[in-house]
Amino acid sequence: MNGRHLAIALAVAALAAPFVLEGNRFLAFVFGIVMINLLWASGMNLLYGFVGLMPLMFAGIAGIAAYAMVALTREAGWSFWLATPVAAVGAAFVGVLLGLPSLRLKGFYFTLCSLVIQSVLTLAFTFFPRFTNGDTGLNQIEPPAWGGVQLAGVWFDATLSVVAVVGVLLAAWIVQTRLGQRFIAIREDDVLAEVMGIDVVRNRIIAFFIVSLYAAVGGCFYASYVGFISPRSFDVLTSLGIWLCVAFGGRGTIIGPIIGTVILAPIPYLLQELQAFKDVLSGVLIIVVTLVMPAGIHGEIMRRRSLRRAAAPPTVSAAEAVSSNGGAR
Amino acid sequence: MTDATLLVLASTLSTGLILGAIFALVAAGVTIVYGCVWLPNASNGQFFLLAALAAWSLAGAGWSSAAAIIGVLFMGIALSLVIEWVLVRRLYDVPERNVAYFVVTLGLTQIMSGIFAMSWGLWSDQFTLPPLVDGITMIGPFPMTNNRIVVLAIALGVLAVLFAALRYHPYGRALRAVFQNREAAALRGVNVRAIYRLSFLLGSSIIFLGGMLFALAYSFDLTVAWTMSVTAFAIMIVGGPGSVLGALVVGMVFGFTQAIVSIFASPTAATFSYLLAMLAMLLFRPSGLFNR
Amino acid sequence: MKQIIEMNRAASGRALPVATLAAVCLASGLASGLASPVARAQAGAPIKIGFNTELTGPWTFFGNSCVAGLKMASEEINKAGGVLGRPLEFVVVDNQTSPTQAVAASRNLDVNDKVVALSGPTNSDTALAIYGYAEQQKLPYLVPVAAFPQLTKPGTRYTFRIEPNAAGWGYSLARFLEERKPGARVAMMYSDAALMRAVVAGFKYQAPRSKLNIVADILFPQGSSDATVQAAQVRAANPDYVILMGAGAFDNVLNNQLIDLGVKPEQMIHPFAMTTMIFGWGQRSAGAIYGTFFDHGLDGLTREGKDFITRFDAANSRPPSYVENYCYNTPYIFKEALALAGSADREKLREAFTRLKTREVTSGIPIAFDKNGARKEYIYFMQIVSVDGKRTYKSRQIHYAEWDADDIPVYELVK
Repeated sequence: MNGRHLAIALAVAALAAPFVLEGNRFLAFVFGIVMINLLWASGMNLLYGFVGLMPLMFAGIAGIAAYAMVALTREAGWSFWLATPVAAVGAAFVGVLLGLPSLRLKGFYFTLCSLVIQSVLTLAFTFFPRFTNGDTGLNQIEPPAWGGVQLAGVWFDATLSVVAVVGVLLAAWIVQTRLGQRFIAIREDDVLAEVMGIDVVRNRIIAFFIVSLYAAVGGCFYASYVGFISPRSFDVLTSLGIWLCVAFGGRGTIIGPIIGTVILAPIPYLLQELQAFKDVLSGVLIIVVTLVMPAGIHGEIMRRRSLRRAAAPPTVSAAEAVSSNGGAR
Repeated sequence: MTDATLLVLASTLSTGLILGAIFALVAAGVTIVYGCVWLPNASNGQFFLLAALAAWSLAGAGWSSAAAIIGVLFMGIALSLVIEWVLVRRLYDVPERNVAYFVVTLGLTQIMSGIFAMSWGLWSDQFTLPPLVDGITMIGPFPMTNNRIVVLAIALGVLAVLFAALRYHPYGRALRAVFQNREAAALRGVNVRAIYRLSFLLGSSIIFLGGMLFALAYSFDLTVAWTMSVTAFAIMIVGGPGSVLGALVVGMVFGFTQAIVSIFASPTAATFSYLLAMLAMLLFRPSGLFNR
Repeated sequence: MKQIIEMNRAASGRALPVATLAAVCLASGLASGLASPVARAQAGAPIKIGFNTELTGPWTFFGNSCVAGLKMASEEINKAGGVLGRPLEFVVVDNQTSPTQAVAASRNLDVNDKVVALSGPTNSDTALAIYGYAEQQKLPYLVPVAAFPQLTKPGTRYTFRIEPNAAGWGYSLARFLEERKPGARVAMMYSDAALMRAVVAGFKYQAPRSKLNIVADILFPQGSSDATVQAAQVRAANPDYVILMGAGAFDNVLNNQLIDLGVKPEQMIHPFAMTTMIFGWGQRSAGAIYGTFFDHGLDGLTREGKDFITRFDAANSRPPSYVENYCYNTPYIFKEALALAGSADREKLREAFTRLKTREVTSGIPIAFDKNGARKEYIYFMQIVSVDGKRTYKSRQIHYAEWDADDIPVYELVK
């Protein structure tokens, strides 16, 4: 019960924050960026935390969707609200097509494969300027309009909050369904899962499709929120940054990526005035936390709890066991 | 065959060999660490760049390139020892240490790029090491600088020594035993942690050397770090983690694809083609061409 | 939802070290972000201008070089009493060579520092990202070093650009080569970057009109490291001139590999050059030609220009090039415009920029902005005489050209 209360509290906080920060458009902008990253991180977490695959072409898929959305709104005159779902589903299909052959690979091989795919995408964004305008990028991307009025200021931030909250809740719901349980079974032991009658590749494709949707929707909102995209907005460093939020916070739980994103995503913005020193600072933060808590922040908390509880009679429910396990692996 | 054709042919050979040898060397460094200790180092590219930048600074202070390279190698070994002592050894026994290590080295990457931005980044946008030797040798109509010939010889020589050492030297055999099975090696009396430390040192030193050879053969800037990391990882995976021979063969394939395709098509097509070739190899033999 | 409960309970006890670290980090960031909005608008308070530039990331060197020039000029101005009786203050913020960060930084400068104008980027990516913000928020924006034509596309109101646009460089290069050798055979080797593509677009527009033959046209992807094969192909095509533009260190690779293959320095043309690039090419490139907008070897330097060169050299161990020069001129242009506006008001400053008629303090070249914020364009072509080690080089001016931004359809050539 308490968990539901906390979830509601977090959601309310996320939805209220844009109005609290309204007085300072800079902090509100950073908050909006954090919300987009939150959406991305909870998507990345579905695949990395619950299926055990680390997709480094995540940003590339976001890029495909963002470019497609801009093309649809600018050249075909569609509204953002129509273009985004179409672009997102399209990009997710492209993502699955690209990822399809590599989905039977395991662990680090999949990661490397996705790294190569990401490199190809970045190169393609630069080399085919017809839709992407190459290295120059596209600027002055219009914000979405809602009933003829362009979303701006606090209402855009609030929209991002809604999108992020829905994204996180959806991820939490998926994890609880039979589908989510199958994902976890695959992560824990894919051979055993196969023996138990789970179609590993098929479930991975489903997971990958869902994750690509997260990436793509985030990419579309990113493009219209920042107003500028270029191949560098969607390169491998972007993917790694999102992954870092998940691994840092603790993968395989819903709350872990939230912790990771809220801590890591704002650093480059808030510490802008420290210049190069902020890189050193955030690097030290990452190293120290990882050395102290190799399983991520939330993973470590879970581990300590279960250590403490080991003395007491085991009352851990199935879902909890899985989540703590996931964090600590 | 006309001179023009010969010129292009010889240049293809030269490009393929030098690019291939340097990338193979760096990938060999990565593969020794990853294959043995199972630690993927995301800051390989920054190590590579650090060595090149340090050598550039020493050369600027009046050292000869040869002296600078030797000096940096010693500094590199000292630095690797420190990093191993402060960071790496804490992760040897962590479950899922490859993830933790990847995160830690991403942090290290950020620290190093911050430091580079505050130092060398202020001094220049491009760096070149003075050549080891002067002069040009004509290969048919193709003039090849002696400096690049020496770079090629060093890279291939180090790869050969590395290959032989891993195969025949007792340390090398112990290293390979740990590659294959940590528990079994420990039972047979191999000091696993010592071997881990050795392979981390060896791998890092080779990456340092690779960085300096690259700086001798080409010019470099601060962006080379990521290109190098990505390529070295890809070469390692395709060649098979832990396999120096794999790194050599795939490195050469990489160098020559780039050189040959760019004769017939644009350099961009060449880059696409080697990436696609790697993808294809990964898909057909996911465990690597030269699995241990 | 269960995971969340765990978090809730544990957070109070065990997560302290991280929480502290994170809190310190965030607090210092928030402090730096929040401290500034306190109004300091009394008379004599500094006039703040946001300088949003690349202090980290791939463009580190350019951003920092630019700031070095900027600081010299703003100190001079403030020593001489500032402008409108108030000192000029440039609030320098790092945009990490990232468009997203550049937008965030613009917002930070606009909202927290209440700057009267923006300036700073030395990179087309970040410059375009800031452009969107400045035009939308009606914030005057003076671009020191970004050559991308779309920064002054028709309809631009708040953006003014000091550097000539890159398509124009290519255009003027073609006219220069036509003069130098009619019917010349020209090869081109360049990286796939916005700037290079724009120069090439301008050159290709003018080449047939100037009756030049393009015998090779080779585009390299970013991150290329070797060009031997392409250099051999270019050599085999036997061109009179080779135009080369590489991104970052690749520029030097192109140069070296062409010379290794026996292409003469006199045949090599660099559409633009900075001091460090010329150091990289070295003595063996003596005779090569490069385009620039400022150089210590120019004929028409003013007294202030010579003084700037001496002092910059003393502080940075190298003579300044056009990047540093434009950033050095930026505070002076602001000073003139603010004096003309008569107040530190955004709209009045914008309007003053449109009326401004001044000169670069260092070289006396006129500065005036057209209706889109582009200036009367110009370029110098220089020839390297000698490169003496890592501290300086000698060059001589061999050509100067001026043209209007409208002489070629730049905004159609480069989208």
